[in-house]
Amino acid sequence: MNNIVFGIGITALIGALAAVAGAAEDTESNIGSQGDPNSQVQLAPQMGYIHRIFNKAIAGEPPAYGLWIVLGAGLAWSFMAMQLNAVLAIVLGSVLAVFVQGVYATTAYVGRTASLKKFGQPIYVDILKSMTTVTMAHAFIAIFCTVTLCYLMNAALGHPFPLPLLGFVWGIALGAAGSATGNPYYGKERQYQNQKFGAGVPIAQSGNIVRYAEAGERNSLDNGFFTAKLGGPASGVCFGLIVFLELWRTILFENISAGWGAIIIGVLMILVFTIIDRYIEVWGRKTYGPYAKPEEAKS
Amino acid sequence: MTAVAAKPAAGSALNPTAMVVGVVLLLIIIGACWQLAPGLAFMALIGIIVGGVLVGFGVHFVPVGGAPAAMGQAPGIATGVAMLAAGGGLAGLFGGAWAASQEGLVVSVVTGGVGGGLMMAITCMMVNFIYVYGMGIPAASGKIKVDPITGDTQTEYKSQGTEGHGLPFVSFVGGVIGGILGGAGGTIIYIMLLNLYKATLPTMMKATEAQILPIAISAAGIFAIGIFLVNAVLTAYNITGTIEGFHDPKFKRWPRAVVASAAASALCGFVAILIVTM
Repeated sequence: MNNIVFGIGITALIGALAAVAGAAEDTESNIGSQGDPNSQVQLAPQMGYIHRIFNKAIAGEPPAYGLWIVLGAGLAWSFMAMQLNAVLAIVLGSVLAVFVQGVYATTAYVGRTASLKKFGQPIYVDILKSMTTVTMAHAFIAIFCTVTLCYLMNAALGHPFPLPLLGFVWGIALGAAGSATGNPYYGKERQYQNQKFGAGVPIAQSGNIVRYAEAGERNSLDNGFFTAKLGGPASGVCFGLIVFLELWRTILFENISAGWGAIIIGVLMILVFTIIDRYIEVWGRKTYGPYAKPEEAKS
Repeated sequence: MTAVAAKPAAGSALNPTAMVVGVVLLLIIIGACWQLAPGLAFMALIGIIVGGVLVGFGVHFVPVGGAPAAMGQAPGIATGVAMLAAGGGLAGLFGGAWAASQEGLVVSVVTGGVGGGLMMAITCMMVNFIYVYGMGIPAASGKIKVDPITGDTQTEYKSQGTEGHGLPFVSFVGGVIGGILGGAGGTIIYIMLLNLYKATLPTMMKATEAQILPIAISAAGIFAIGIFLVNAVLTAYNITGTIEGFHDPKFKRWPRAVVASAAASALCGFVAILIVTM
């Protein structure tokens, strides 16, 4: 019984860490335009829209986060093997991984923007100075939280994978959850604030991203400020739910009927999320209604 | 024919010669393994091929919209095919590997599948949450007029100048199936390699099974993730960009990916087996 209570406590802590990691990851990727909306940031100068948006996308979010979290986890693991205190080892590992992220962000921004020289897009040194440090700060939160949750899974809950391997698995999952949930909100809702609300961006408008803020030109800090209100927390909820429910069903129900308990609970949870998804879909259709009259009515 | 003149082939463009070459390659690798390392290693190779094929086939179910989905211009999840499938499949592998330390093959593989399915279910639900509550956009498919599962009409819910947006219910179901197949496939590969390494490493390294266990788990985990990514990326090339799920015409391309996945998994698995049997 004590074991289960301990496991549930650790699971709750891991879930909370995952939620923070997801929120920080999405905000970091939006400030750096790391997700899919980077295509629009890259396209805009080619369509004649010169902008001051940071763009460090030379890899998708999942592989980039896979790299940084493996680095953080691997270094923390090495430090622990050198008999360093676990907390210190995780902090040091995450700090070193963040330096790699900083180098990555700098070279990626300079490289991507330099390729737009013939379209007249300048490389803004002040953007490089102010944005890179902010993405690094957010990346540190995401990496530290994820490495810590991987450490807890391994040391406290007894998962057989070593720390770097867990870091890879959850780094990729973090990037996948963050980009799936957060990208549309940044891409459609923020970059194309000049388009109609409640409709997709017409393909003909591609590249016409919003470039001006309330005062002066918009930069990526404004974008991070905006998406941190919904896209970031939603990504945090997504990654937090994934990690928490996966651990929760294993810790509580693994011992029931030789593993089948956890499976049945997992299937039930999939059904619950299916019902919630269907509710959201029907709610959207009923509340917003169709864009055009149904085809039967026309004829 | 120039690239401009070439029409995009949705599904029927299966190349019989390439398929035969793939099958022959697969048979050659299986034959080589049978010659060099019969018994447990051969069974491990068959398991790896089955796992790889499950991953390759499963990726076709995952609704991926890529960059256009991030602007609400195309339905699906706004990220890359290979990466989303890897996210779901590896989350499944995490659960499967955990179960494998206590339970048997069937329970572990099913646990891995359910883990992958759960990850995809949560992700797909959150995608619709953001579209509906964050952006005020209902889900609509661009490839079909009526959702084959719910019967909801799609065309009039598609906003002007786009190919659809969000995840219609059929795509949600596809995502969950993809996660289940990916998680189960990844777990099969892991367990097959783990059993092989646990049996062969003690004599090779002259150590007890308890001593080699961390090495066996790490090596099997790394190879399982590697083979998983090989199959996910191969399938992403087969899909070329975006897919809505099993109702998408591109889904008909799956036989190509299955043959390619089988051959690639066989080769990767053969290398993973050779390091302990040669």
